[in-house]
Amino acid sequence: MHLSVLLYVILFSFLASCSSPDVSPSIDEVDLEELDPSGQEVIFWYQHTRERETALQELVAEYNQTNSQKIVVKGEYAGGYGDIYNKMVVGIQGGALPSLVVAYQNQAMAYHRDGGIVDFTPYMESPKWGLKAEERKDFVQSFFKQDYIDGAQIGFPPNRSLEVFYYNIDWLKELGYEEPPRTWADFVQLCRKAKEQPFSRSENKERSLGFLIEADASRLASLVFTRGGDLVDAQSSAYTLNTKPVRDALSMLRMLAQEGAVELMSEDYGDQREFAAGQVLFLLRSSSGLPFVTSAVEDGIDFAWNVTYPPNELEDPVVNVYGASVSLCKTNPQQQLAAWLFLKWFTEPAQQARWVRASNYFPVRRSTAQALQTYFEQNPRYKAAYELLDYGKSEPSMSGYQQVRRLVQESMVEIVEGSDVEPVLTSLQKTANQTIEDY
Amino acid sequence: MATRDKLGSRAYLVYTGLVIGGVVAGLPFVWMLMASFMTRGETLRRVFAPESIQWANYVQAWEEADFGLYFENSLIIAAVQVVGTLLFSLLSAYPLARMEFRGRNTVFACILATLMIPETVTMVPNFLTITWLHRTTPFAWLNSWPALTIPFMASAFSIFLLRQFMRGVPNELWEAAHIDGAGHGRFLFQIMLPLCRAPLLTVGMFTFIGSWNSLAWPLLVTNTPDWRPISVGLQQFVSEAGAEVHLQMAGAVIATFPVLLAYFLIQKDFTEGISMSGLKG
Repeated sequence: MHLSVLLYVILFSFLASCSSPDVSPSIDEVDLEELDPSGQEVIFWYQHTRERETALQELVAEYNQTNSQKIVVKGEYAGGYGDIYNKMVVGIQGGALPSLVVAYQNQAMAYHRDGGIVDFTPYMESPKWGLKAEERKDFVQSFFKQDYIDGAQIGFPPNRSLEVFYYNIDWLKELGYEEPPRTWADFVQLCRKAKEQPFSRSENKERSLGFLIEADASRLASLVFTRGGDLVDAQSSAYTLNTKPVRDALSMLRMLAQEGAVELMSEDYGDQREFAAGQVLFLLRSSSGLPFVTSAVEDGIDFAWNVTYPPNELEDPVVNVYGASVSLCKTNPQQQLAAWLFLKWFTEPAQQARWVRASNYFPVRRSTAQALQTYFEQNPRYKAAYELLDYGKSEPSMSGYQQVRRLVQESMVEIVEGSDVEPVLTSLQKTANQTIEDY
Repeated sequence: MATRDKLGSRAYLVYTGLVIGGVVAGLPFVWMLMASFMTRGETLRRVFAPESIQWANYVQAWEEADFGLYFENSLIIAAVQVVGTLLFSLLSAYPLARMEFRGRNTVFACILATLMIPETVTMVPNFLTITWLHRTTPFAWLNSWPALTIPFMASAFSIFLLRQFMRGVPNELWEAAHIDGAGHGRFLFQIMLPLCRAPLLTVGMFTFIGSWNSLAWPLLVTNTPDWRPISVGLQQFVSEAGAEVHLQMAGAVIATFPVLLAYFLIQKDFTEGISMSGLKG
């Protein structure tokens, strides 16, 4: 009898404490202008390791020493994007959240839906703590828009990357071309030629490919954007995965795969490895991989290469722009304000320039470019990619996009391995749109 | 003569199969070792053996990923978890194997049923329990060793393994001890414990490997390197933008070494423990 009573007490106290422990007022209930963030501790969860983490920690240390409010920021490596997502999901339930967290748009949407993060808008617009009009204008506006979802600014961009087209200049010359392909028709021809005529310096001439592509929604998005298509409709209310641009993109890959000129990547970063070994003519990859490809080519067979925008069927180039933003977790008003102040400082041009040099990401404020002139001169490929920022177009910011990415990946594999395009895409379209209803 | 030939050809086939199996199982380790001594360029060109041995990879991997700290953490976490698991498993397995009480089989079936639940499913309830304990008890559970060890000390598999072994111990031993005035506690610790050496070492080995390799749970319950295990250090070389296979493999060799060493030290008892507990296929 006594034991069962004791068990009930333990069970109820456990369940009671599992409900949201947050009883602090929301930012709507307090006057933001009157808040005092002095002495707050800000925990920042990120995915950066090694050189990037070192650079970030140096910036954090500088902020801790110089900020007048004596705010103390603690940067903590929380694993990869997937690990951070897991930590956040259970952290929201268990009331163990950081102050700032790196998050992709679809992840931030899930956190926002579950009440784990707050809207940046009041902080950005605050007369006392916010961004001045000229500061707001200085940001690349499309980056803000990527994080503005369902009427809330659920993320704040500290950096971005582009999906760029890497090409082997020396091999192109051997094939009789001075320029990278500008249309997909040219791309097809060059892939076929690369299959027939291996790179003269390749150590394995038995293997020669035009293109090695990862089955990934971002790669498909690039192929579709450059054909004038999109993965969602104009209102972002439904997926458009069975349109002519999507069919054309995947049909092209399937045809080239059947000819042996294109393959799907089967190991992590296998495309970078084979590009560096002179076995693959083209790559489609994030600009943040530039340092890795640079050192891989230097350590490999060393040849001339560069990056540009992917082939396209439009008047102007289009490049897929992406990158995780930082979200503001729901803690307490003082801590949230302190976290915002750090993030605002972190995105100022002087800090951005330092961060960009260490991380090879792109800055989100245009004025940062002035501080990067020497870096541009030292890294011409980075500059070439940076100049493509104005042609950026982003992937869908919809709930459940993470799940749709996996579906897209499976459909890509199916089609490239020989399945008919139409039935696979019809099924993909249907399943993808069902996820919208599920969320 | 014909029988001897038949036996000889059968043995030949068996040994051929075993050699192929050994090569298939060992090749990844050989490749890991080779790649850990290569330059980055050599890993890119997919050569089998390095031209010259790059000891610097080990130094770089050790220093850049703070392996010293992670190594120490992993050893402490694994040691605490092994001791705790052995203690709790022994105390749970004994009554299930040797004592008669109502509902014994039901309790055992319930324990076995937990084996069917994937670890991922228990992660959220475990985390909620740990955060609750962190808030309501004077101990620091999060970012410390209790969160990394205590939830895994009750292991259904270990209980099952020890119970199976204990059931095979002749009842005459208990009867003799009982006549001499020994109770269950004394029988367990003075007679059963020495007999259980092989299965205990097996349980210890499995627990050690599980603890050493865990990544998702330590990342969930720790936010600073203070108590993070070696698997987190290894993850430092999995970059979001490019691969550094030579450093990854050097780190993997460092991380694998203690497990191999532990296995070689108790290999005989480990095999005995598996075969005597009825786990052998």
